[in-house]
Amino acid sequence: MAERVFAGKLERAGFTGVWVGGHRPFGIEEAAMYPLFTPEVIELMRRTIPPDHQDHVATGVIVKARKPER
Amino acid sequence: MARDLMFQHEIKAAVREAYAAISTGGGESVARRLYTHEELSEVPAGCIEWALGVGNPVRYALLQPGETVLDIGSGGGIDTILAARRVGPEGMAVGLDILEEMCERGRSHAAQAGVESWARFLLGEMEDIPLPDESVDVAISNGVLNLSARKSRALAEIFRVLRPGGRICMADLTVEGELPPEVANDQSAWAG
Repeated sequence: MAERVFAGKLERAGFTGVWVGGHRPFGIEEAAMYPLFTPEVIELMRRTIPPDHQDHVATGVIVKARKPER
Repeated sequence: MARDLMFQHEIKAAVREAYAAISTGGGESVARRLYTHEELSEVPAGCIEWALGVGNPVRYALLQPGETVLDIGSGGGIDTILAARRVGPEGMAVGLDILEEMCERGRSHAAQAGVESWARFLLGEMEDIPLPDESVDVAISNGVLNLSARKSRALAEIFRVLRPGGRICMADLTVEGELPPEVANDQSAWAG
């Protein structure tokens, strides 16, 4: 999900003051630390994602928002 | 082996199956990237072993003593227990997870941390949260919303359980552009 899509979904749900920060790159080597990513999918990612993008496949973010007061 | 995930129930089943199948989390290598030494000293070793998040929502949530916090997809309980530390015994931290074994793990870790009186773990789905309307001050999650095939429904449920003025603080992964289709459709990539 793209950052703008995430923010849009929050706004459509009724949240206000959407803030996105704390950006950090998430690459294949980091994904490999998680047992949920099988060795097969890590290998698939290494094979299909261009080498210059492999250290930033996704971005870790913090998303904050608020439910309006009545 | 890659398998296309076309239906919501398939995605839900794949996520449940993937989490039920693992015998450990990301361990210290993941936890130390996301949490400070001081934060990790506040939780039992089992929480560190079961760390599966992608950020540190508690650090950003600015929790206050007495608040009620809902941790969506609580897993081994690391964020629930950190939240319980911040809100104190006059508050409440509620972990929600789709797997009973994860809830049991969270309860055990909360007992080891000495916060079991104000940290509870509920079995349930983020798209159908088993809590009353307007009963939560802050909702947190850590790498969980992306697992839902019904993200808008999950956000509507979070909105329902939050009190007016309540906050949401979520750590998650975003992807700009397209992943190769064979990666995007792989059930392990979705669950991860």
